[in-house]
Amino acid sequence: MEELCQPPLEAKSEVTNKLLDLQWKMGMAVSSDNCRSLKSPYVALMLKVADQSGQITNKSFEMTIPQFQHFFKQFKEMAAVIETV
Amino acid sequence: MAAEAPVDFAALQSLLKASSKDVVRQLCQESFSSSALGSKKLLDITCSSLSVTQEEADQLIRSLHRLTRLVAYRDLTAGEEILALFPENFHQNLKNLLTKIIMEHVPAWRKEAQANQISLPRLVDLDWRVDVKMASDSITRMAVPTCLLQMKIQEDASLCGDKPAISAVTMELSKETLDTMLDGLGRIRDQLSAVANK
Repeated sequence: MEELCQPPLEAKSEVTNKLLDLQWKMGMAVSSDNCRSLKSPYVALMLKVADQSGQITNKSFEMTIPQFQHFFKQFKEMAAVIETV
Repeated sequence: MAAEAPVDFAALQSLLKASSKDVVRQLCQESFSSSALGSKKLLDITCSSLSVTQEEADQLIRSLHRLTRLVAYRDLTAGEEILALFPENFHQNLKNLLTKIIMEHVPAWRKEAQANQISLPRLVDLDWRVDVKMASDSITRMAVPTCLLQMKIQEDASLCGDKPAISAVTMELSKETLDTMLDGLGRIRDQLSAVANK
């Protein structure tokens, strides 16, 4: 789609937060106080988000592999849709 | 807490007063839960259904909790492994009944234990929307596609007890940021495949 106006500066995201960075790691839980022997893979993500004042917060969370796959799928859907507008 | 805490098997004898196998089964399930040890309700129910004193009910719940947690901790699935936990002179029928009940429940208990172990917060919901930004206070006309994303993150359940806090974070992603994000997630996916194939 042809852009009507290419802003010289990035349009300000006054209304919501901006995603600055994504950090991740993959791990395997091998043992816990509840279960001596585990083989439980997980993906942990940390999102660096800046609010309108510039204040940065980190949001960390973890997902099981199926949850991650669903997460990834949703982002692919978003990307597909954003191509069409 | 201490998964290998000693089990007071003598206290389990109170179960002989149960009116049916279902009562025993129910008690085993209730006692496994992490809220079992402080529960006045469970204590009272146990007292009345088995006609035992508060003291005896407390000791029974404590023992059942330790026994069920021990089995989940060690992931004992075979009957012989569970039978081997009991002392030699333990009531034969009760031992067999408890072993049978425990064997039925171990997979579910393991799952529950894993769901409740300490972890980073968990993503419980993801909503998104693609918009076209038409104007803002600094630019009057534009057509910039943008993605609005809201994630609901739930704090570690084991830290917050029954009502773990859920926080929502909303963010706006430009197409470029979204593409970069996809790259990053793609790399995780590649790593997962690499690890899975090892």
